[in-house]
Formats: sequence, structure tokens, C-alpha cells
Amino acid sequence: MMSSHDQNHPINNDSSDEKTTHFGFQTVEKNEKESKVASVFHSVAQQYDVMNDLMSFGIHRLWKRFTIDASGVRPGNKVLDLAGGTGDLTAKFSQLVGREGKVILADINSSMLNVGRDKLRDLGLVQNIEYVQANAQYLPFEDNTFDIITIAFGLRNVTDKDMALRSMYRVLKPGGRLLVLEFSKPEHELVNKAYDFYSFNILPKIGELVAKDGDSYQYLAESIRMHPDQETLKTMMDAAGFEQTSFKNLTGGVVALHKGYKF
Amino acid sequence: MPQTISQQLMFAQTLSAILETVINQFLGYNLHGIRALKPLSEKTLTIKLAELPFPLSFTVSDEKILVSSNNEDNDCCLITSISSLIELKKEQQLTDLIKKDKLDIQGDLKVAQRFADIAQTLDIDWQSELAKRIGDIPAYKLGQLGRKLLKTLNFAGTKIQADASEWLIHQKRLIITATEMSYFNHDVEDVEQQVSALSQRLDKLTKHISKLS
Repeated sequence: MMSSHDQNHPINNDSSDEKTTHFGFQTVEKNEKESKVASVFHSVAQQYDVMNDLMSFGIHRLWKRFTIDASGVRPGNKVLDLAGGTGDLTAKFSQLVGREGKVILADINSSMLNVGRDKLRDLGLVQNIEYVQANAQYLPFEDNTFDIITIAFGLRNVTDKDMALRSMYRVLKPGGRLLVLEFSKPEHELVNKAYDFYSFNILPKIGELVAKDGDSYQYLAESIRMHPDQETLKTMMDAAGFEQTSFKNLTGGVVALHKGYKF
Repeated sequence: MPQTISQQLMFAQTLSAILETVINQFLGYNLHGIRALKPLSEKTLTIKLAELPFPLSFTVSDEKILVSSNNEDNDCCLITSISSLIELKKEQQLTDLIKKDKLDIQGDLKVAQRFADIAQTLDIDWQSELAKRIGDIPAYKLGQLGRKLLKTLNFAGTKIQADASEWLIHQKRLIITATEMSYFNHDVEDVEQQVSALSQRLDKLTKHISKLS
């Protein structure tokens, strides 16, 4: 399957129709994707942090720091860390918003949420964090609730990204901002090729070796390639209603941070 | 706006991550504990250094200091350079540096002073910290060796400095001594006085000639 897609795969989800979507390089029914993604994350939850460090050589910590710096978070802010997984962003936000602020760690996957909750409690971070199991497409919050919403490495797993972006827009306060940290398209062809080789040949092997689950990491590599590129995602954010949308490429475009405001 | 290499490589995030780790390790080793952080809870000090293209913000959160390159919200902001920051150790330098435009302070000065107090009151027993990791005797021996090495290095430094100045002043004659400089200055002052006297005499003579003609 990989050989037919590894070099000339599509970068966006144009080929999916109303009833189908992508699960990596496979085309699946929309209602099927959610359970398939769920099984991937149930499987990797326990090893998620170790694998992140291994796969990115620890650089994911810098990408997340960059996101925090770009968020302009202040004491007293209300932050939604969507698809927050094991709570890396929540941990930092919780310390920065202070006692008057609040951070909601939301994830659709109960296993990831449990790992995140345990980790944050072990770090002594309990005062201003709430945990919500939620689907990004149907956020269970009132309109105009949050000052900041972040979704780091989560949007590509969402079945209907446009719907999720509209949902985020709805719950964001006027003046609030959304930050989307996600794998993207490297700017230089050479980096792109090296990245392809790493993703499809080395990454699944590391997954097999460490997490005993090569298939989930094969999905990870495929889902990255199927995710909209920088300009497409920016257009999608504009279409959802966000204003002053912009993006910054990190590590040569391997990852991009998109930012948009609600006014 | 195109991104600089520094932004692409996330230099700001790398530096702030390193600083945060080092500062919190040091605070953890501090014999006075982390009590000093209490009055600064949720306060942020931002330092904009001339040598860095991004600011560094230090926020106190519970028992930690968080470092970021976020500049949007702070209680006090220092705009200066690394060399002026070192000079700031001496309290009397503060006004001088502001007068010389080497330091600009915006916001609550007390926040900056409290951060400086924390840094100055850090008291770390390195030998005991080392002993926790490698045992008492090796730590003691290493401490002894370190002190000896420091003493030798200090002595060698002073000796090299003295020998080098001797060689430059007396052998190569590339640099003059303070006494020679003072003699030279004295001679220059003498010449200046003589020139001034001559100039006055010439003025007088010119006036006299113009009267005669």
C-alpha cells in the first residue's frame, strides 16, 4: 500500500466525498474513521510520550514551546487544549494562567485523557485543570467561552476538519485566538524526500520496536501526508470565520503553526 | 514576513528551555529553599537584551520559574545589554546606567529587584549535592581537587598577566607604564601652556603693529 503513495500522494482531502474520508491512505466511511483513529490512540496512549521524544528527537518540546510563546497567554485566561492527549501544553498553560485562570484538557480518546490526567497529577498540577472527553466537531461548551484554543497534532485525526474549525470558532471569545500545531509540508524538496524516507521506512520500525505497534505509526506517517498543506489549512481557517490567519513553518515546514483570531 | 534562521531553528525556544531547566535546578539545590519565590508569585520580568533578537520573560509560578520568549504581558521590563546587566550587580550603577542610556526600565522596579535578590541569595552546597550522586568520599576528594585546581588557575592567571605586561612594557616596548603616561600628560600640558602664552604674545604684537600702522 505504501509504495503506491509514498512519493506522489495527495496532500489534502479533496478526493474524499461527502460520505467518505481518509484514514491514512485508505478511503473509509466517515463514521468508520472515528473508531479506527480511536483504536490507534488506545493502542499508543501508554507509550505516547516516549514515542514522541524518539520520533522527533525531542524537537516536539520546542514546537510546543513555540506554540505557548505564540499564544500570548496571560494570567486569568481560559484555555482549551483540544486533542490535548498527554497534557504537554496543558501543563505549561496551567502554570501560566495562574489561580484565576483555567485550562480544559479535552480529548476524544479516553485512554489518552487518562494518561494525561495521571501525568499532570503526578506533576502536582491539579488546581486549575479540568478534563473533558469531547469530539472537536461537537464541542460541549457555550459560545464565546475561551480566550485561547490550541490543537496540537490532533486536527489531522479529526473526521470533518471544517466542522471542527467552525466548532472551535463558536466557543472562542471575541478577541480570542486559535493555534493549530500540526505536521505539514516541508518547504524544500530534499527535506521532503528525506522526511518521506524517515516516515515510511524508519518510523514504523521504531513504533514496532518500542510500542510493539508498527501499524499505528504507519497510520501516523500516512495521516501526515493526507493532512492539508499550509496554504490549504489557512484557507480552511478563513472559511470557518477566523481572521488575520497566518502560519509559521517550523523545522523547514515539517511542522507548521497556524494562528487565527475571532473578532 | 519571511522567517529568520533563528526563528526556523527555534533558537528562542531552545535557549528558554535550557535557561528554565538550569534555573529550576539551581533553585532546587538552594539551601534557602524556594521561599524567596513566594512574593513574586505570578509576576513576570522581561529582559530585552541588545545581543538577542527576542525577549526573555521569567514568570514565577508556584515553585518554579518559567522562561519564555513571550513579550505580551509583564510586570517589569528591562531593556539593556549583557555587559550592562553584569554591571547592574553593583546597586550604585543603576542610576549611572540609566543616565548613560544603557538601561531602560519599564514597569515595577521592585519586581526586578526581587528577581535580582533571588539570584544573589542563591546558596548552593555543591559538595553535598555531588555527594548525593557519587558518595561522600569521592565528592570530598573532587571538592579538594577542584579548590586546588582553582587556586592553581588563579595563580597561573595572575602570573601570566604579570609576565605578559612585563614583556610588552619592558622587552617589546609596545605599551607604556602609568608613570610614563603621567609624564607624557604633564609634558603635553606644559606645551599647551607655552602655546597659549605664545598665542597671547602674538595677539598683543598684532594689536601693537595695527596701532602703529
